Amino acid sequence: MLYYRYRTLWRTFFQELGMEVKASSPTNREVLEHGTALAIDEACLSLKIYLGHVAELIGECDYILVPRVSNFGWHRNMCTRFEALPDLVRNMFRDADQAFLSYDLDVLEKRDEKSAFLEMGRQLGCPVREVKRAYKLAKKAEQAHNKERVQKQERLSKQEGLKILLAGHSYVLEDPYIGRTVTGYLKESGVIPLRADLVDRDGALKRSRELSPTCKWEVSREILGGIVQYRENVDGIILVSAFPCGPDAMVNELIARRVKGVPILNLVLDSQTGTAGVETRLESFIDIIRLKRGTL
Amino acid sequence: MAEKKKRNISFPRFAEYNCAFKYITEQALDARYVMPPVLTKRTMELGAKYSPDFVCTPFKTILGSMIEALEAGADTLFMTHGLCRLGYYGELLEQILRDLGYQFDFINLSDYDMSKKKEYLRIVRRFDPKVNPARFLAQFMEGVRMVEYLDEITAEYYQNCGFDTTGGDYRRAYQDFLTAMYTARGRRDVEEGYRAAKRALRAVPLDKPQRPLKVGIAGEFYTVMDPFSNLELEQKLAEMRVEIHRWMNVTNQFIHHGGQKNMHVKVKDLCAYEMGPTATANIWWARECAERRFDGLIHIKSASCTPEIDVMPVLQNISADYKIPVLYLTYDAQTSDVGLMTRLEAFYDMIDMRKKVL
Repeated sequence: MLYYRYRTLWRTFFQELGMEVKASSPTNREVLEHGTALAIDEACLSLKIYLGHVAELIGECDYILVPRVSNFGWHRNMCTRFEALPDLVRNMFRDADQAFLSYDLDVLEKRDEKSAFLEMGRQLGCPVREVKRAYKLAKKAEQAHNKERVQKQERLSKQEGLKILLAGHSYVLEDPYIGRTVTGYLKESGVIPLRADLVDRDGALKRSRELSPTCKWEVSREILGGIVQYRENVDGIILVSAFPCGPDAMVNELIARRVKGVPILNLVLDSQTGTAGVETRLESFIDIIRLKRGTL
Repeated sequence: MAEKKKRNISFPRFAEYNCAFKYITEQALDARYVMPPVLTKRTMELGAKYSPDFVCTPFKTILGSMIEALEAGADTLFMTHGLCRLGYYGELLEQILRDLGYQFDFINLSDYDMSKKKEYLRIVRRFDPKVNPARFLAQFMEGVRMVEYLDEITAEYYQNCGFDTTGGDYRRAYQDFLTAMYTARGRRDVEEGYRAAKRALRAVPLDKPQRPLKVGIAGEFYTVMDPFSNLELEQKLAEMRVEIHRWMNVTNQFIHHGGQKNMHVKVKDLCAYEMGPTATANIWWARECAERRFDGLIHIKSASCTPEIDVMPVLQNISADYKIPVLYLTYDAQTSDVGLMTRLEAFYDMIDMRKKVL
């Protein structure tokens, strides 16, 4: 689920330690169906997709990485699902002969990212100096990569044209099977899609307080910050969430109540296989914005 | 006329704990407590109407209860913080209520960094700027004691009430105890109410078989404790002559096992990390029930409760390893009585037959 957030960090880290990294193939219908069959019915769409990916990797690697990412500090939590993920996966696949690798990021319990990675390196039996070096390089690569993406989006936001801000988690928006259909359709319709979470993270955390002073989820705060930064600049906002996302159910309600003056579409993606329903809603949303601007 | 204007504080209904909130408000804070009306279908409808669609059910119940408290004259609402979505309840509740046009003062624990002790005094001062901290603490501890008594008596009640031979004396004794707690005005009232309840419950003749059916209850914090939210599951099951054992209550979760670090050691083989706010306790209790050879386990949660959904795979493994039947119940705003009854009766028949065979 966090692949899109951490892929550079993870890839560089393990490659620097001389290991081979294998990622599961992009989400498709089989992955989703397999995951749905495994998961508890009420789990969110993203977890179902995730379990499908894990199932695909079983037996393919020495270790499958399933990190526990709990929080980055006070009021900087992740959804509790990320806390439960390693144990959830271990319990679900306990009959499969497969080793899982994990690291525990929990700043409130005094385990920051660096010490979590050092601990993981120790589990793998790598020399500490090597691990330290790999983490440093990986972190550098990650930061460079993030910066590049943020700058790219800033350039995009200065272009002329109809701009729509997408507010959603990276594992929803970047997933080829669910979120990409939304961005793809927007591009086809001649709209410039911007993403609320592609902003400078520290700045966004601070700005999120303007919209919601007690929001406690790191990713939601980044998105809130992105909305504050871009809301003057865009013609519409689409809140994209996976059914039934816990934090989004509440945060999106709050956004809809507090962000005024911009058209907002609340789009909940579920495991339907057709895209016609989503396209109809996007189309009418774009039409409304164009009608408002007088360019229809 | 010059009398100081007292705050009218309210906290949404939560099982029977409101007697302790009332006690603390009146005795420790020198303010008036507005008891929210008993939860009814109307509460639920009000809450569901104004809540986002797939927020957890307790949010809807709490919103409904807050609206009813405001209608009853509350001017200060209090909301707790929490480790799951509960931590964000406050801000969204306030926004929804303000959008509806209500006027009130909102005290939200999520505004404060609860890991710092200094913050606690600031919170108390928000209620009452002239508070005497020593007196507050003494009275607050009395309220905590009331919670402990309440949990103890409630646990005893559900373990035995199904075997009452008098047709209602046991239940009446429990109701009398609740009345005593809701009307307590001092330490002596609390102590006497507790002792009288203990005596009264013991005096009722019970007809309990040597090996009664025992069922453990685990699940999500609010729904598992609040009889309205779980459609009086415990009472219904107890009346089928079943002994009910629920570990999860305020006393066990917060007063006696705060943090649960030590408890986690016992379930390390089932889960390497803490999986969620009540996960450790529920996993531990589920295994405890299995090891004590209970006849069944019921896992309760509200619809879309993320942490409890994530605990379920672990419980499924416990169920498979220890051969203990587990009934998973999900409650939402529409859950009807009849559906629950059908499932409970089927579950009861199954564990009853199983007990006779094994």
